[in-house]
Amino acid sequence: MERRTFIKLAGATALATPLARPALAQGTTTVRWWYHFDNPQHSPAELVAKFEAGNPGIKVQAESIPWGGGNDYQTRLFAALVAGNAPDCAMVRLSWAARFQQMKALAPIDDLIAGWAGRGDIADNIWTINKGADGKQYYLPLQYVVLYLYYRQDLFEQAGLKPPATFEDFRSAAKALTKSDVSGFGLRGGAGGFDHWGPFVLGGGASFEKGGMVSEKALAANRWFVELTSKDKVVPASAPTDSFRQIVDSFKAGRTAMTIHHVGSANEIVGVLGDKVSAVPVPRGPDGKGWTYFGDESNAVFAVSKAREAAFKWCAFLSTAENNVVLNKFTGQLPIATSAAKDWTLHPKRFVDASAASLPFAASLPDSPKTPDFIARIWPANMQRALLGQIQPDEMMRAIEQHFHG
Amino acid sequence: MADGTGGGRISGPRPSPSFRQVGIVASLTPADRRRPPLGRGATPFWFLLPAVLITAGVVLVPVAQTAWLSLQDYLLYDPDNARFVGLGNFAKIIRDEVFWISLGQSFIWIVGVVGLQFLLGLVAALLLNQSFWWRGLARSLVIIPWALPSVIIGLMWTWMYDFNLGVINDIALRLGLIAAPIAWLARPDTALYAIMLALIWQGFPFFAVTILAGLQTVPAELYEAAEIDGATARQQLFYVTLPSIADVIATALLLRTIWVANSLDVILVMTGGGPGYATHTLPLYAFLRASSSMEFGYGAALALILTAMLLGVVFLYVRRAARGIEA
Repeated sequence: MERRTFIKLAGATALATPLARPALAQGTTTVRWWYHFDNPQHSPAELVAKFEAGNPGIKVQAESIPWGGGNDYQTRLFAALVAGNAPDCAMVRLSWAARFQQMKALAPIDDLIAGWAGRGDIADNIWTINKGADGKQYYLPLQYVVLYLYYRQDLFEQAGLKPPATFEDFRSAAKALTKSDVSGFGLRGGAGGFDHWGPFVLGGGASFEKGGMVSEKALAANRWFVELTSKDKVVPASAPTDSFRQIVDSFKAGRTAMTIHHVGSANEIVGVLGDKVSAVPVPRGPDGKGWTYFGDESNAVFAVSKAREAAFKWCAFLSTAENNVVLNKFTGQLPIATSAAKDWTLHPKRFVDASAASLPFAASLPDSPKTPDFIARIWPANMQRALLGQIQPDEMMRAIEQHFHG
Repeated sequence: MADGTGGGRISGPRPSPSFRQVGIVASLTPADRRRPPLGRGATPFWFLLPAVLITAGVVLVPVAQTAWLSLQDYLLYDPDNARFVGLGNFAKIIRDEVFWISLGQSFIWIVGVVGLQFLLGLVAALLLNQSFWWRGLARSLVIIPWALPSVIIGLMWTWMYDFNLGVINDIALRLGLIAAPIAWLARPDTALYAIMLALIWQGFPFFAVTILAGLQTVPAELYEAAEIDGATARQQLFYVTLPSIADVIATALLLRTIWVANSLDVILVMTGGGPGYATHTLPLYAFLRASSSMEFGYGAALALILTAMLLGVVFLYVRRAARGIEA
């Protein structure tokens, strides 16, 4: 090729490229999605490829954001929203909904849900739990877990005990099983431990309504809970700061006979303890009332998104039966789609059953902008001080009441 | 030192004007000398301008922003309703029990960590300055804790202190030092000191390496002279070694005080500030109020108070550094 011809061709190509690009790009919408998986080695690439193949006009840019106990993820998401660099959609929790509402970050998606074929495959009570304070839907449910009681079947049998159904059963069993190197109950007083406190204190009569933390019933329930540590001494000495890793590892190592967690840790625990471990719903209070934490996970499409419908399509894709199964393989939680849950084999059946049996009295935390701070700061600091005898249990309840209601 | 080999200042002819002074003076005309033109006289400042602008962009603007935020009731999730409260945040801080707890613990934290890091670093440096066949290897090994990321150190020590599975309890039990495992990080009387130990372990190599570098600049003649004068090893340490490296030690202490006062990563990983407020320090408390509570105004006010307290140390450091440049 002559030099002149080459230059002509190169020039023509250079001119043509920018002209051609818009034509190629026309009709392609990019959806930015923030997610977190507990195991960072898992990737949603397989789901993204399947979605993009079925929706040629949409590209999904999945961004893994560190969870950091929930705080890191949440702070980054709010900072991104304030800075105007938010993703189109993201995995979110119900306890953040009020803060999103306050900053007008979300817009209702009722119209999009109404036109989605998978709507009927999600149970009605899940849609109800996920509703905003104004009755509109802002979240698209994705997966869930329910907290239940893990117990050592073998130790219970040896001691001639039945899995506890009431608070008093629980206390008696914990006392009977506490030995020199085994504690009856692996209590979580560190980060995220409100889900151990809730079943006994909220289940025992406390509530987040005004005055609900300082009623006689609430105060008595909290005193009872603190006494498991201070008087009955059925928890490990490290309980005030023990978090997820410590309670699971102590239970696996045979240092505790009971603990509370969800199906997400079932395979890991069964891997070590096999048939020695089983699960039942958390015990119920004296008046038969129960409370356990509904650990939700949804997707939300943000109001600022310029790709609202494409983002919803992606979120709906993830909540649709077979895709929902694949996603839950990565997260270790339970599928939200009823048809996917029917033949669920990724966890031993007894733990899935314990989750299902806990659903009727499972609840989330209040839809308040103060809830995240209650989880991250107010509850741990006051609970730990009460467990260590630095403050009275009643002072802890007054601090929580003060936090929510001034 | 009567022979004048060390100590006193070198006397001699007055130093000649620096290169820059000579250059400027030589190029001035008589008119220039009366009133130097802005362009030429300002040349050095033009050279400095890019650095000043970058520093202003990455340091002064965020500082000014923090100061402005500290005067507002600013919630990250409710930015539209931010309101100016003047010194309201500072007034609230004065009445905040957790602030005073954190402040007291910050003091213990800084004095304990920096002091022990220094002592350990000094001992390590003196040992590493001796002659032994694996000195090169020892010098490389000692730097490892300093090279590890803080998060790794936090996790590593958390598991070493673990109540059920930790190696520290295991060894202490086997040696009969304790009768039952101790929940080091869950007890308010041990948690802060347990974390301090982790940070002392991480930071002592900084002192060891810095002091070692200083030790190598001490002239051997000083020790020979001291020996001739009959000085014992202890006297040599206190009258030769330490005075000779006093400048190095002072600079390292000031720098490390600033770093340790600001550090919160290891505490955050190991206890998150608990149990209760037992391991809260001022930077950690500021971080928690800003990050967990999203109270950016209150968090900024706490951070400013910490900055104001550290300014004294920063001032001393800058003065030392400037003295070094002038000399």
